[in-house]
Amino acid sequence: MTSYEDFAGREILPLWEGPDPVNVPMIRHWAEAMGDRNPIYRDDAAARATGRPGIVAPASMMQAWTMRGYAATVEGPDAGARAGAAAGARELDGLLEKDGYTSVVATDSEFEFHRELVAGDRVSVREVVESISPEKSTALGTGRFVTTVRTYTDQDGEVVAVQRWRLLRFRPKEARAPRPRPAVNRDNAFWFEAAREHRLVIQRCAGCGTLRHPPGPCCPHCGSFDWDAAEASGRGQVYSFVVNHHPRHPAFEYPLIVAVVELDEGTRLVTNLVGVEPGEVEIGMPVVLDWLDADPDLSLPVFRPQSGIAA
Amino acid sequence: MSGFSGAAAIAGIGATEFSKDSGRSELRLACEAVLAAVADAGLKPSDVDGMVTFTADTNAEIHVARSTGMRDLTFFSRIPHGGGAACGTVQQAALAVATGVADVVVCYRAFNERSGVRYGLGQADGPAETGADSAAYAWLTPFGLSTPAQWVAMFARRYMHEYGATSEDFGRVAVVDRRHAATNPAAWFYRRPITLEDHQASRWIAEPLHLLDCCQETDGGQALVVVSAERARDLPHPPAVVLGAAQGSGDDQHMMTSYYRPRITGIPEMGLVGRQLYAQSGLGPADMDAAILYDHFTPLVLPQLEELGFCAPGEAKDFVAEGNLELGGRLPFNTHGGQLGEAYLHGMNGIAEAVRLVRGTSVNQPEGVRNVIVTAGTGVPTSGLVLGADR
Amino acid sequence: MNGRTYEEVATGEELPPLPIPLTRTLIVATAIASRDYQDVHHDPGLAVERGSTDIFMNILTTNGLVDRYVTEWAGPAAVVTAIRIRLGVPNYPGDTMTLTGTVTAKHDEDRRVEIAVRGENGLGAHVTGTVAVRLPAKDAT
Ligand SMILES: [Zn+2]
Repeated sequence: MTSYEDFAGREILPLWEGPDPVNVPMIRHWAEAMGDRNPIYRDDAAARATGRPGIVAPASMMQAWTMRGYAATVEGPDAGARAGAAAGARELDGLLEKDGYTSVVATDSEFEFHRELVAGDRVSVREVVESISPEKSTALGTGRFVTTVRTYTDQDGEVVAVQRWRLLRFRPKEARAPRPRPAVNRDNAFWFEAAREHRLVIQRCAGCGTLRHPPGPCCPHCGSFDWDAAEASGRGQVYSFVVNHHPRHPAFEYPLIVAVVELDEGTRLVTNLVGVEPGEVEIGMPVVLDWLDADPDLSLPVFRPQSGIAA
Repeated sequence: MSGFSGAAAIAGIGATEFSKDSGRSELRLACEAVLAAVADAGLKPSDVDGMVTFTADTNAEIHVARSTGMRDLTFFSRIPHGGGAACGTVQQAALAVATGVADVVVCYRAFNERSGVRYGLGQADGPAETGADSAAYAWLTPFGLSTPAQWVAMFARRYMHEYGATSEDFGRVAVVDRRHAATNPAAWFYRRPITLEDHQASRWIAEPLHLLDCCQETDGGQALVVVSAERARDLPHPPAVVLGAAQGSGDDQHMMTSYYRPRITGIPEMGLVGRQLYAQSGLGPADMDAAILYDHFTPLVLPQLEELGFCAPGEAKDFVAEGNLELGGRLPFNTHGGQLGEAYLHGMNGIAEAVRLVRGTSVNQPEGVRNVIVTAGTGVPTSGLVLGADR
Repeated sequence: MNGRTYEEVATGEELPPLPIPLTRTLIVATAIASRDYQDVHHDPGLAVERGSTDIFMNILTTNGLVDRYVTEWAGPAAVVTAIRIRLGVPNYPGDTMTLTGTVTAKHDEDRRVEIAVRGENGLGAHVTGTVAVRLPAKDAT
């Protein structure tokens, strides 16, 4: 039984030559799409003025010379020139598929260029696995980082570039519904706007200085309608908490810890506790502020146990 | 007009400016108008103990009261049907003042009817609701705190922490309810009693609440007919006389989530109801022969026993464990099975059971019942009754 | 077109920011120019089916834009010797990515300059990385 560790050093793409030689029309299309007006990609004279023999290809275009393009989508990954040659790739794909890592996203590309490409160059590529990470939990889902080294060579077998290439192969996270939207109005908008900037604020009466949360339009102590907002220290302790199991709302992971935290400033707020198991939470536990960017429009203060506190 | 004619008067008036775009929340407009009227009357917000508004108003009494510094409220009422409510609010206030259930009642109405929701544009495609009640949920639902069980669980956890109560102490309430329901043919859980072990083994809903700490959900209806005591004597059944009827909304009152008070182990609004009931009826806890206490969730039965004076704060767990709520105990409780055992009808079925207890016709009738105390929902502005046999 | 000489550049120098409007057409045109026909770069329906909120820019294009950003500043005589990037949040249509850069190192032996590059969109950092270019000597031009 092959394991992920066995793949280090294995070839998953034997040397394969790109379908087109380096050529000026494809360079021009690339530069046009990228908005790149560098004259060395379209003007022989301008390129020669910089000491080059003539038009060169953008360095970043290296990988494009070895892309299978539309053919890959109609013939499948192992068809054509690669058929029968990519046993390592098929074996790795099988292993990843068995573990449910059905999705893929490129995360890193590290190119070292040995020389610039000129029209007429034929680029080939060979790919070898460098490492496969243990399973990691990421924002996209759980998966493994597959790092390979792609070596690009020319018609003479000389290396023109080396690329360390990292893909995340992962199980997509269950799509989560957005968190319930707060009804934002003229009395509470300041608080949610501050939260978007990762600032936890407390409404403060401009008349008598009393802090109040949840906020309101006027002060129950002195009747003043004037107020400003004080920045909270972000420290507090658990005043009470709940561990929700049922019913389940699609925005949340369960069991879900909801707590009333009493801030050092004296006001309390309802929040979530993170970085702690339900069984470890205790009333009186010191906690510190953290931020949850629930989605692009909504950031919420959450709290985690203060580190360095002995259990 | 008769009865209360001449018994009440309007003593203060107050308003905001009238514009096409106030630039302020509807709640703020309500607060400004209320504070102006109270000042005009030469009173302080803390003198106010009654509020009346329109059912159409977005500014619930508790938000206005909390913001303006009102404290205990003993009367709050709403009138339906849009603009038809206006004079009705004054009638409600006058009735309350004339009968002594409140001393100072504020009637109010505030809205951004031009810059906000314009009635004239019709109801389709209205903007998202951002009134004070909706905004109150902004502090809860984004964090996943959105069900009554979860709201109650937050109080329960703190109560356990301060008083050393356990899940089993809550479970004993459910066991009594289900024992009484087991002999009530009208109860959903007829012939289905539970044990404390069943309670402990039931799945978590919102820790520290198990499934069997939570009432069922019910389809059903319940109605009551109220007439004068004199007339009732001529009707077929022995009257259940209203000896006391009271409302209560406490200081810093929120809707199910009054987590911001100095302490959250009690139910101050229920204490306020209880004190009025005893004052109105001239009776005390020792005179109550049975209790129908609101039991949508078991934990809040315990502080009700404390607030109503049946035991001291923190001692309800012992009061229950000693068997006082059983049929032969000191205070037979929820003899119909409660909302955990019979049906969840927002407490109205409990009032009917109290009537049966006074008539002597409950399926679980204890000996010699004359006075029964009944409570309404906990965690919210609430109410209560003392019903008694005809004297 | 003017360029920079190795001597003109100082460590700590900041490149002028370059905002790039991320039109749907740009995302599709650059994917095709880099011969990347994967559906997530041009088919919104399939992109959503695969868990994305919309089509998004491919990594080859991010390489291309970072390359363009640095060489526009360095000038046509500059020779790119390395592009190392890490991707963060996706580049979705309708957003704008603003590229910024700072010269972080100079290597006299081969007149090589390293520039730390960062591309931020409305969701956060789309790309962070380093580009190395060899610049002409002062008297060579
Ligand atoms: Zn004040």
